[in-house]
Amino acid sequence: MPNIAGNAYGLTTLCPIKNGGPPHRLDEDGATLPDNRSFGAILRDRLEDLPCDERSPMARVPNTYLCRFFVLDDLIYQGKPAEEDHLKSKYLVFTSNFHGDLETYLHGMWEHAADAVRRIWEHCVAFDRVTDAGSFVDYIKKCQVETTFYFMGSTDVSLAEQLKGLYLKQEFSKFAFANQGKSAAELQAAFAEFAARTRPDNVQGPTWRPGASQLKDAVVEGP
Amino acid sequence: MSNKLDLRDVQGSLLKAYGRYGFPKSRYVFYRVNDGSQARKLITALLPLITNSAVWKGPEQIPDSTLNIAFTYEGLKQLGVPEKSLHSFPPEFSMGMKARRDIVGDVGVNAPACWDPIWNTDGLVQPVHMILWINGRLVERDGQQVNTVDAGYQRLCELVAKHSAGVEQLSGHVGDEGDDPSYQDGSAIYVNGMPTAKEHFGYTDGISEPYFDGCGSHSSRVIGGGKPTGGDPKTKAGWAPLATGEFVLGHRDEAGEYPAAPIPSVFAKNGTFMVYRKLHQNVATFQAYVERMSAAIPGEHAAEILSAKFVGRWKNGAPLATYPTKESADQFAAELNQARLEAKQPGAGKAAQERYEKLRLELVAFDFRDDIDGSRCPLGAHIRRVNPRGSLEFGKTGAFNTPGALINRRRIIRRGLPYGEVRDRSSDQGNHGVIIVALNASIERQFEFVQQQWINYGNDFKLGNDQDPILGNRSVNESGNDRMTIQADPRGKQPPVLCGDMPTFVETRGGDYFFVPSLTALRMMGDGIVDPT
Repeated sequence: MPNIAGNAYGLTTLCPIKNGGPPHRLDEDGATLPDNRSFGAILRDRLEDLPCDERSPMARVPNTYLCRFFVLDDLIYQGKPAEEDHLKSKYLVFTSNFHGDLETYLHGMWEHAADAVRRIWEHCVAFDRVTDAGSFVDYIKKCQVETTFYFMGSTDVSLAEQLKGLYLKQEFSKFAFANQGKSAAELQAAFAEFAARTRPDNVQGPTWRPGASQLKDAVVEGP
Repeated sequence: MSNKLDLRDVQGSLLKAYGRYGFPKSRYVFYRVNDGSQARKLITALLPLITNSAVWKGPEQIPDSTLNIAFTYEGLKQLGVPEKSLHSFPPEFSMGMKARRDIVGDVGVNAPACWDPIWNTDGLVQPVHMILWINGRLVERDGQQVNTVDAGYQRLCELVAKHSAGVEQLSGHVGDEGDDPSYQDGSAIYVNGMPTAKEHFGYTDGISEPYFDGCGSHSSRVIGGGKPTGGDPKTKAGWAPLATGEFVLGHRDEAGEYPAAPIPSVFAKNGTFMVYRKLHQNVATFQAYVERMSAAIPGEHAAEILSAKFVGRWKNGAPLATYPTKESADQFAAELNQARLEAKQPGAGKAAQERYEKLRLELVAFDFRDDIDGSRCPLGAHIRRVNPRGSLEFGKTGAFNTPGALINRRRIIRRGLPYGEVRDRSSDQGNHGVIIVALNASIERQFEFVQQQWINYGNDFKLGNDQDPILGNRSVNESGNDRMTIQADPRGKQPPVLCGDMPTFVETRGGDYFFVPSLTALRMMGDGIVDPT
C-alpha cells in the first residue's frame, strides 16, 4: 500500500512556490532595501540557513526518521526523443519518513516547529490560508503525492525506541569489549551495573538525542 | 571474443610479476624534469631499454634486470604533453595522491607531513615528475651472488648523465641509517640466504593476482584470479577472466566500455595507471598487540591463530576458508613445499609439475560461501576485505546478476616488494616496510575505493566503522574504528573474540599517482608528437 509500510509513513509533498519576488527586504538594522531575489531563491536561502542535526527544527518534531527539503526549479530535458516539459512554477519538495499516522505527525510538526514551518512555507501558493494545525494538515494533504519508496535505514518502531535501541547497541558493544574474558560472577556484576546505568526499559533516557549525527554529542541522560 | 593484447607494446610490470621470474630486488629512482625538450630526448634514448610484456619463452630470454617508466601529471606537463591531452586525464590522477589524502586516509600519522622528504614538499604541486624502476634477478657469477640491480642502475645513470640538462635525480628517501639515498631500494626478505615471499610481519604476501582476458598467464590461473561465476570455486567453472580494460587502457572493461583515458586514444592505449606508496610497518606494536590480545584466544597457538584471523591466511599462506586449523594449514604447507621442490628438480616429470600446480591452486581456489558467518575467515579479515571473492552477496544466491557485481570493478594488480630490514623487533623505528605498486585502469574506482571503503571503513561488510586490521589508519579515532570482531562458530560454545584499542600498524611514508604509457606512447612523448586534435 502506498504511503504506508508497517508503522512507517512515507510523505512526499510538492508545494508550488509563488512566481516573482518581493519588491524589497529589510536589512539587519530594519532599513528597507531593494530585493533582487525570487521567492524560490529566498526559500532556498532559508533552507540553507536551517540549523543541522540536533539543532534542526525538525529534530523537535516527534517521530521523524528522516526528512528532506529542497527546491525543484524545473524539469530537466532528457534529450531527444523525450518531450521537453516545464513546470508552471518552482516547487518546495518536502519529504518525510516518520512513525505513525499522517495527521498526528503534522499536528506534532505544527505544535513543535510552527515558527520554522511558517518561515519555510511563507512564499508558497495559498499558504496564507494556513492559520493553525488543522489548516496546515489540510494544506499538506492537498500537496501530497503518492510515495512508494522509503528511507530504508529505519525499523518501523517509534523514534524514541529506535534511538534507545541505537544507544543500547553502542553501549553494549563497549560493554562487551570492556568485559571480555571475565568470570561468570564478574560478568554478571558488570552487567547489573550496565543495566542500572543504561536503563534498557526506559525509552526516555539515557538515549540518543533526535537528529544527532556525532557520537560525542548524542547521549542525553533523560529524566 | 578473447582479446589479443600487443604484449610488445605494454610495459612489462603490468603483465609480469617479476618476482615470479626470480627477480627479488628492485630500485625505484625518481626524477624532476627541468627541461622538457632535453627530457624528451632522454625518453627516446631510454626506449630500447624499457622492458615490455612479451612472453619470455626460455631462461635465455630473461634479462638480468628490467627497466620501466611512468610519469606524474606534473611530469607530463613539464614534458610538454599538450594541454588538451592533460585535461583529458581523470581528475584523481591530475590532482595526485597528496591532494587525495582525505579519500585515501593519509591523515594523522599517515599525513604528508610525516612522509619522506622527497614527497613532503610545500603545497600540492607534485615534486616527482618521473619514476624509473629496475627489478633485478638473482644471478650467480663465479660462485658469487651478483646484485643485477646495480648494473641496471649504472646503465640508467650513464644514460641520464648524457641528458643531465633535462632531468634531475631526486633524493630525500629515508634510508637505513636515517640517511638520504638517492633512490628507494626494495628487496624480498631473505631467509637462509634465499629470497622469500614474506613481508615484515611474517605473512606470505603476493599470493592472489587478478586474471584478465589477454594477460598471457596459464589458463588455470583464472581459478581464484578471475571473477566469480557462482560455480565451484575450486574449478575453472567457478571463475571467468576479468575484462582487459579493468587493467589496460584502450580495451573494453567490465562495464562494456573503454575506460576513461586521455586523448588521443593511441596515446592511452596499452597504458595504465600506477599507485606508488611507501608503507612503514610498526613491527613492535604489531607483535605486542598480537601477544596481548592472544590472551583472549583459548588453547594452543593463540598468537598464530590471531595473526591468521587478522589476514584470513596463516602466515604460511594457507587460506583460513579452506584450512581453518593450524594443523591442517601446516600439513598443507609442508605438502606444497615438498611438491614445489620436487617439481623444480632437474628432470622432474609432468606428474610432479601437475601435483605442484594442483596444490598451489589451493592457495587461491576458494571463496567464502561456506563461511558466511565468518567463523573460519572473519568478515573483517584483510583478504576478505580487499578481495571479497563474491562474499558481498552474504549468502543470498541470485542477489545480483553476477556474484561479482560489487567486486569485479575493484580489482588491483599488485607489484610491490618489501624494503629495509627489521633490525630490532622490539622497536617500531627503523627503515622497513613495503613498497606498494598498484596497477589499475582507474585509480579512483579501484585503488581509492578499496582504500577508502574496504580498508578504512566497514559498511560494505556490515561492520560499521571497523577497519582493515593490518592497513587501517586508526590514528584519528573518533568513531570507534579501532576494533575487529573475530566471529565464533555459531554452533560452538566459544564466544567471539573482540579486539579493541587496535593501534595503527602501517603508516604511509609517501608516494604518488603515475601514468604508465605504452611503448608507442613513450615514443610519441619522446618525439613530441602527442596530438589530441
